[in-house]
Order: sequence, then C-alpha cells, then structure tokens
Amino acid sequence: MKPSIYENSRDVFLDTVNAKDYIQLERVSTIYQSLKDSIEKPLKMVLLYGKPGTGKSMFLSKLHHNLISSQKVCLYKTPILDENEFFKILAQDLYGISYEGELNFTQFIKVVENKELLGTTIPLILLDEAQLYSTPMMEKIRLLSDTRKVKFVIALHKTEKEDIIAKEHFQTRIWESIRLENASTSELKIYIQKKLMKVNCIDTASMFTQKSINLVHKLTDGNYRDVNKLVYTLFDIYVYYANNNPNKINTSEISTKFIEMSAIHTGLIDA
Amino acid sequence: MLNVNDLEARHKKYKIKSYAPYFVIFASVTVAIVSITSFILYNSKIEIDIEKEEQNLPVIVQKIEVTSATKEKNETLQEVEQKTVQEAAVEPVAAKEDIKAEQKQEKVSLFPSLDFMGKIGSNNQVYYTKETISTAQKVPKEITIDIKQEEKKQEEKIVPKKVEKIEEVAINIDKKTPINIARKDEQEDLSHVIKRFNVNHNPALSLFIAKKYYQLGSYEQAYNYALMTNEINSNIEESWIIFSKSLVKMDKKDKAVETLKKYISHSSSSQAKQLLDEILSGKFK
Repeated sequence: MKPSIYENSRDVFLDTVNAKDYIQLERVSTIYQSLKDSIEKPLKMVLLYGKPGTGKSMFLSKLHHNLISSQKVCLYKTPILDENEFFKILAQDLYGISYEGELNFTQFIKVVENKELLGTTIPLILLDEAQLYSTPMMEKIRLLSDTRKVKFVIALHKTEKEDIIAKEHFQTRIWESIRLENASTSELKIYIQKKLMKVNCIDTASMFTQKSINLVHKLTDGNYRDVNKLVYTLFDIYVYYANNNPNKINTSEISTKFIEMSAIHTGLIDA
Repeated sequence: MLNVNDLEARHKKYKIKSYAPYFVIFASVTVAIVSITSFILYNSKIEIDIEKEEQNLPVIVQKIEVTSATKEKNETLQEVEQKTVQEAAVEPVAAKEDIKAEQKQEKVSLFPSLDFMGKIGSNNQVYYTKETISTAQKVPKEITIDIKQEEKKQEEKIVPKKVEKIEEVAINIDKKTPINIARKDEQEDLSHVIKRFNVNHNPALSLFIAKKYYQLGSYEQAYNYALMTNEINSNIEESWIIFSKSLVKMDKKDKAVETLKKYISHSSSSQAKQLLDEILSGKFK
C-alpha cells in the first residue's frame, strides 16, 4: 500500500467542524429529522445538549448548511459574551441593521417586535457553546424567544447552565430537548468506514475489523472527537512505518499495537 | 511530527504494566494453592500421626492364670502371666476400693474456699524427695518399691500388642483366676503427662498424675503430686482424698486423719468423711 493512502486516510480525521464531513448515521439522522421537524413548528427554543465531542457543533453546522438556502438562519459557533455586541450582531445578521453606537436589550427587543416577518418562516439563531453565556444573558435570550419573532437552537454541554435552562420558567419555553450521545460500537464502525469511503480509501476502511473497532470504542468510549484524534494519530503512525519500515505493516487489519500507541500519544492511555 | 521510537518504548512499558496485575494474580493464586496444599498435607500428616499414636496406645489385656491343659501350648505367655500374678498379689486390695471411691467422688460438687490454704499453712507438707523415700523404712515393702523397679515390672507386664495373642489369651480364661488390668506404655504416658504438667501447671494434670501413681502403688509420688495439686487449687476434693490415702499408705495415718478433719471442717465433703470413717475404723489401710 502506498504511503499516500495512509496520508489521505489520516487527513479525513482532522478534527474540524465542517458540514461536508458530516456522516449520516441512523440514530443521528433520526435526531436530525426530529430537530428539523421541531424547527418547522411554532417553537420558541430547542435545546441540544450532550457531552463534549458528541457532535453538537457538527449537528448545528449541518443544520445551518441545510437550512441556509431556505430560510434566515444564523450560526454562532463561539459565544458573543458582550451583551451590546451580541444584540448588534443579531440586528446586523437578522435585519441588516448596523448600529454604530450602543444597542441594549430594550432597544433591540423593540427592533425585533416592530419587524414584520418575511413570509411564514421565523429567523433561526443557532447558538453553540451556550453554556458560556451568563445567566442574565440567557434570560434575555428567553425573553427574545417570547416575542415569537425569532427562534433559538441552543447547544450546550451538560453543566450547571443546563440546570438553569431546566428551570421551570425556561422549561415551558423549550419546545424540544435533544440529547446527543457517544457512538455505539456499530455506529463507530460505520462512522470510521464511511469517512474513509468518502475519500475512496477502501483498503484502509476494510482494515478496520470488529476487533480493532471494539478496541477503538473501548479507548474512546465512542466519543467522536476522541475517535478523530485517535484514528488521525493511528494513520500518522502508519505513514511513518510506510515510509521507514513497511515490513511492520499488516495490510489485512489494523494493528492493535498501533492503536495502543496512538492512544498513548493522544493521552487516552496513561503510560 | 510523531516520535514513533519513543512511542514504541512507551508502548512496551504500557504492555509490561498491563500484564503486571495478571502476573500478580497468577503468583498470588499459585502461592495460595501451594499454601493450601501444604496445609492440607500437614493436617493429614497430623491425623496419620494421631492414628498411629492411637494404634500404639496401651491395650488392656486380660491376664489369667493358665490352666494346666493350656500350659504346654503357651509357655511364653505363662511366664509373663505368672509375673503379673505375683505383682497383682503385691498390690493392696484397697486399691480397688479406692478406684470405686474415686468414681463416687466425681459426682460430688465442691464449694469455693479462699482461706483454706491459710488454715493449713502452719502444717505445710513436705515433698517427698528420694532421700525421704529411702529413709521411710517403716513403709511396707510392697509399697516402698523403688520407682525404677516398678517401672521395670511395668515393662515386664507389657504384652506385645498383637490381636492374635489377645484372642488366644481370651480363649484360655479361667473363671477362678483373678483378673489383672495393665496398660501398655503406662509409664511413657505418665512421663508425657508430667512433661505437660511441668509446662502449664494445670491442676487437672497433676491430679491425674497423683491418681496414676497411686494406682501404680507409688504413694510418695502420689502424695507429692496431690500436694502440688492442692497448692495450685485447694478446692479439688479428689486431690485431698488421694493426698490422705497416700499418707495412710505411707503409714502416716495420724497425719491423714488430721488433714481430712481439717478438710471436712472446711468443705463438709461427704467423700472425705467417708474416707475418714474408713481410716478410723480400719477399713482403709
């Protein structure tokens, strides 16, 4: 096998959030469909939560990518912590109004209430890493959603912030709460193989036997971010051996030793 | 850029680390199995030893006077039996009565006494040493037999433990002949018990030794061990009985009577009273 195959396989697993790299898994696609259905309903807020690396950002990215052509949708991958800045950016992105001076919440909500909806669709705001927003800010987002002139999809880690969201006055406004989880063994196999197939690395995809998938799952607990890091390092090791000592490579299956070496390198194994 | 060589070294370490618990478990299981096996073997060895000891225990042999008809067949047995008959004649008949009395004593319960030793403190008894034994000329000949001679006789009494021989002896029982009961290795047993007593000073052991010596006719030793028993625990009735009986056997009737009276005044022992009556009336000599 040529070293370039391993290089291509390695690069697929670069940990980036790109809607094009989104892998359609059965369970994830079901969740995605239910989220899409929820958005079409007169909801106020959709809560998307889960542990880090479960694909929340990718989910929002995919949603943004799919909806941008049909409706007004804004994705904020990193939180805008300054309140003034947050409302100014929202006014700019939603309504094309740019404010040079200050724009506080009272001013912005007046702007929102006075704006007539274009068609039947309500503008959608996707907020990633929402756990970083302060509690007063979250309360203001809630009040904005109460105007029914804007919808929010909030993605956050399972932290104390989630408890705030879970409070009764917040809970009533949440149309749907979607929890994302780590991949199962079978999902992981599909995820890795589909990723490799996308770049035509069929040979390396077939090297992932159930045994090696089980080991990867054991080491990463099915966390997509960890899987990406591990498999990236794994193919990096393969690239090294393909260039320096090709005899050590078994092309029929992924070496357990190499997986363990990758886990040591990425810190999944403490050695 | 990956440092694969370093990564390989770390992986090697990791593998060794990951196998370490299995090695530890394997080693501990092996050690456990070995220790359990050795423990079981050791126990079974002890059991075998106990069985052997039990097999070597003295066998009660009924010795009888051989009839004239069987004399020709059992000449060797005859010699041994004649000796035992002679020894049996030496033993006082009172010994048999004592055994009965001791059996009765076991049924009597004792009450605790704390000041008894104080009362008899003024009449401290003296242990019989070899010198005292040698000077005790007044003691009847059959009673003052030297312990060593007694031991020799006991050894002579011992009949080799063979089931076949025992059966032969049983066949030749003459109803009129007296029965002599002897224990094989009795002295050995006794010395073993003495050793144990010297280690732990258990009054039950010293009482046992005193009783054995009394049965064997070694009254000085019986006296000594009964005295030791009384010093350790002054509330053992049997010990005082043996003590008094030994005194009588050593021709110290007055001392025996005095001791018994003191003991009776203190404990109201019916056994002691009975013995005192027997001594005074001359039934017990």
